[in-house]
Amino acid sequence: MDTAIQILLGGVLQGAIFAMLALGFSLVYRVTGIVNLAQGAFCVVAALAMYSLESVFGWAPLPAAAGALAGTTLFGALLGATTFVPALSLLPNSSMLMLTVGLLTLIEGAILAVWGSQPYALPPFSGEAPVVIAGVRIVPQGFWIIGTAVVVIVTLWLVLARTTLGKALRACSDNPAAARLMGIDVERMRLLSFTMASLVGAIGGIMVAPVTSLEFDTGRFFTNSGFMAVAIGGMGSYIGAIGGGLLLGVTEQVAAGYVSSLFSNALTLGLLLITLLWRPNGLFASLGSRRSDAREELRVQRAIVRLSGPRAGLYAALALLGVLVLPYLVSSGVLSSLVITGILFIAVIGLDLLMGYTGQVSLGQAGFMAIGGYTSAVLATNYDWSPLSGVVAGMALSLVCAIVVSLVTMRLRGVYLALATLAFGLLVDSLAVGLTDTTGGPSGLVGIPSFSVGDYAFTTPRSMYYLVVGLIVALLIFFQGGIKSGFGRAIQAIRTDHMAAAAFGVNVERYKMAVFAVSAVLASLAGSLYGFFFHFLSPEMVGTSRSFEMIAMLVIGGEGTLVGPLFGTALLTLLPTIFQPFAVYKTAAEGLLMVLAFRFLPAGLFGTAVAWITRQAVRRKSDAGLGASGLKRSLP
Amino acid sequence: MTEIALAVREMTKRFGGLVATDNVSFDVPVGSVTALIGPNGAGKTTLFNLITNVYRTDRGEVRFGEVSLGAMQPARIAALGLVRTFQAARVFPGMTTLENVLAGAHLTLRSHPLRQMLWLKGARQEERVLIAKGEAMLELFGLRAFRDVAATDLPMGAQKLLDVIRALMARPRMLLLDEPAAGLNDSETAELGAALRAIRDSGITVMVVEHNMSLVMGVADQVLVLDAGRLVASGTPDEIRQNTEVIQAYIGQDTESGPC
Ligand SMILES: Nc1ncnc2c1ncn2[C@@H]1O[C@H](COP(=O)(O)OP(=O)(O)OP(=O)(O)O)[C@@H](O)[C@H]1O
Ligand SMILES: [Mg+2]
Repeated sequence: MDTAIQILLGGVLQGAIFAMLALGFSLVYRVTGIVNLAQGAFCVVAALAMYSLESVFGWAPLPAAAGALAGTTLFGALLGATTFVPALSLLPNSSMLMLTVGLLTLIEGAILAVWGSQPYALPPFSGEAPVVIAGVRIVPQGFWIIGTAVVVIVTLWLVLARTTLGKALRACSDNPAAARLMGIDVERMRLLSFTMASLVGAIGGIMVAPVTSLEFDTGRFFTNSGFMAVAIGGMGSYIGAIGGGLLLGVTEQVAAGYVSSLFSNALTLGLLLITLLWRPNGLFASLGSRRSDAREELRVQRAIVRLSGPRAGLYAALALLGVLVLPYLVSSGVLSSLVITGILFIAVIGLDLLMGYTGQVSLGQAGFMAIGGYTSAVLATNYDWSPLSGVVAGMALSLVCAIVVSLVTMRLRGVYLALATLAFGLLVDSLAVGLTDTTGGPSGLVGIPSFSVGDYAFTTPRSMYYLVVGLIVALLIFFQGGIKSGFGRAIQAIRTDHMAAAAFGVNVERYKMAVFAVSAVLASLAGSLYGFFFHFLSPEMVGTSRSFEMIAMLVIGGEGTLVGPLFGTALLTLLPTIFQPFAVYKTAAEGLLMVLAFRFLPAGLFGTAVAWITRQAVRRKSDAGLGASGLKRSLP
Repeated sequence: MTEIALAVREMTKRFGGLVATDNVSFDVPVGSVTALIGPNGAGKTTLFNLITNVYRTDRGEVRFGEVSLGAMQPARIAALGLVRTFQAARVFPGMTTLENVLAGAHLTLRSHPLRQMLWLKGARQEERVLIAKGEAMLELFGLRAFRDVAATDLPMGAQKLLDVIRALMARPRMLLLDEPAAGLNDSETAELGAALRAIRDSGITVMVVEHNMSLVMGVADQVLVLDAGRLVASGTPDEIRQNTEVIQAYIGQDTESGPC
């Protein structure tokens, strides 16, 4: 009985933190219509800042906490003012979501560069000796957490419900256009909500730091939990955020206490999926006003990025030639990186089909890499399957998982697929770490054989290189054709305007699901090849960081261009190899490049280059007196 | 007795306190052009959204031929042959004019998507025929010159026409057009009028929301007048011209904007 109360209490404590995080999400979501995935990272920034102020600069706890909160809030305000808020009027929702992934990566990378990758913990605010009340032991920090949560919740509620400022914030969420007409500075309100959310996150981080150890990437778990809490409770509902947070906290603790923490991850994902199936708008969503998104969905404006005609053929032939002779020109270290580039690019092609062409966001693509990688590796290493049949088994398993995830989320708004895939990726992460007997746990799976087909084994990097190049060429030719076909028109129509697509009879759900499945299978294939190439597979090779990294590769290279992401993939893979000192800043650079790309190169490196080449070609033609207008030439 | 293409019964939809459509019932005979007119905010677009299940109805029923549309998905409704356009031209960005036209023909593609992606023989043949048809359509509407231009770069009038072409490519039995003449100049509007008649003569039932009275009166067989969500009048163009309630709806309350 006591243990039960003990566990329940742990759940409430955790739930209080989740509720605070969820409130941050809710705040930004209500004012901007966007789920800000960077939210959780502010927790970590604040906690680590407080740690440094205390232990490096010798500040007392109270000023250190105040300094950390102020610093983090200022950081949030700066980040919001330079990236998030201006992007709101430029980018469609799916890109905004990816931009926040970029911000999350950027902050995680910055933390990594400043504080390194070791775990940190703060000393408790007031002693360690647990207080015993009626046989239940409560750590003093627990009172701090509950107390702060209550203060934060009540304060926020008062601000939102009782002040003019709150009214202005709510007006922005109900109808931004009308709010603007009423003289409300909508941009300011958006920035304010973003800043307030970072403050709330920072408070949560400082409170939780004495009872949890924090690392540079802990933020994404906070993001995930907070995000799940709002989805369970009801996106954009104040009570929902609190209720969802508490429910999630208790469920996690009960599952972890009675079964195992491994199971707890699976259970919370299950809880989320069941909630979404049963009450798509969350448990606490007010039934009366089912308002559509606060933000008018921006139409996706995109230029046509395409080289065609004999010139394109020439470029492709030259590029292929270069790729074929490359292994003879580079060192073996670089060759290995090239193979990795190729392997990752296979997964990124799938991601491009999913995000660039169909406009869906997956934050857990590496989860499918893990499924493919571990399935084929385990089958080949421990069960004497041929690598090829292992690869096929992995793809089949990924396919099944993708279909289950998409069946649940497809009919809901896009952000739920992103959420479900994030949770799915983290679940696979924890399974890879936890199922030690099968996967080798955190230290990884060793002794994976080389990939082989029949009697031929791809033992050298060079043979792997040509295998991967062959696969990529085949995939590119297939999908290039696919995109020009009726199928390609249908998925692009879905991305740019799913309502119009449906009006022409496109079965939006089915096509989305098909593309999601294809992307999962490609990721799975890449994961398998990855393991066979390294003869080794560990959870972080195919973890959530990898998912984020692949999104960065896609965005930097140029989404929706099929070949473009190769440049992003090569850049992020080769840079740390060629320029070793860069490795520490890799994550930060990834995030920064991604954010910059969204801001300045919306078509990515490749898209920008193609646009330039096309412009040059047009200029040359007009110089030659052929007339600049493409219109005239195509007249019969 | 004329056959009924579309029957709408007691269609009611509230947005909060606002009654956007109020107990609206009407029939659209097969092979006719039916115009739906009314001042801004009368609920015309909402009615289209209700018919195609983009919005859920509070009350009411829609029958398309023999089929009750009930809670059918928009894509299924299109598959039955009821195809609509949207009020603001919604050409697909990132695609050329021709690709937009071909995208409209999605429902007519018979080969499996995988066969399309692989460009197998049947699919290749199908695509060739489709392109030829799309080009012919562009020619017919005078857009041939824009074939390979990004659709979003087209002038507004051309985008509206492209919208109509795209809908026609779906080989509909009935078309719902939401203000196809908005943004068109006079000669383009006259062309559109001729096109609407041609469409009707080819056997496609047309229902069109339009503010341009000369277009409406020129092509419509039946005119429905919506005001503040209620159907206030219906009849032939001549009857409507005489109808005082319509004059009320347009001029009585809405002097400054008039019938646009
Ligand atoms: N999704 C919605 N939520 C809330 N109110 C809506 C929604 N859609 C339409 N309305 C309201 O319903 C009423 C009817 O709008 P509708 O767009 O159908 O008018 P309309 O006749 O098409 O006008 P217009 O000639 O300007 O196109 C308007 O008052 C509009 O504000
Ligand atoms: Mg309208």
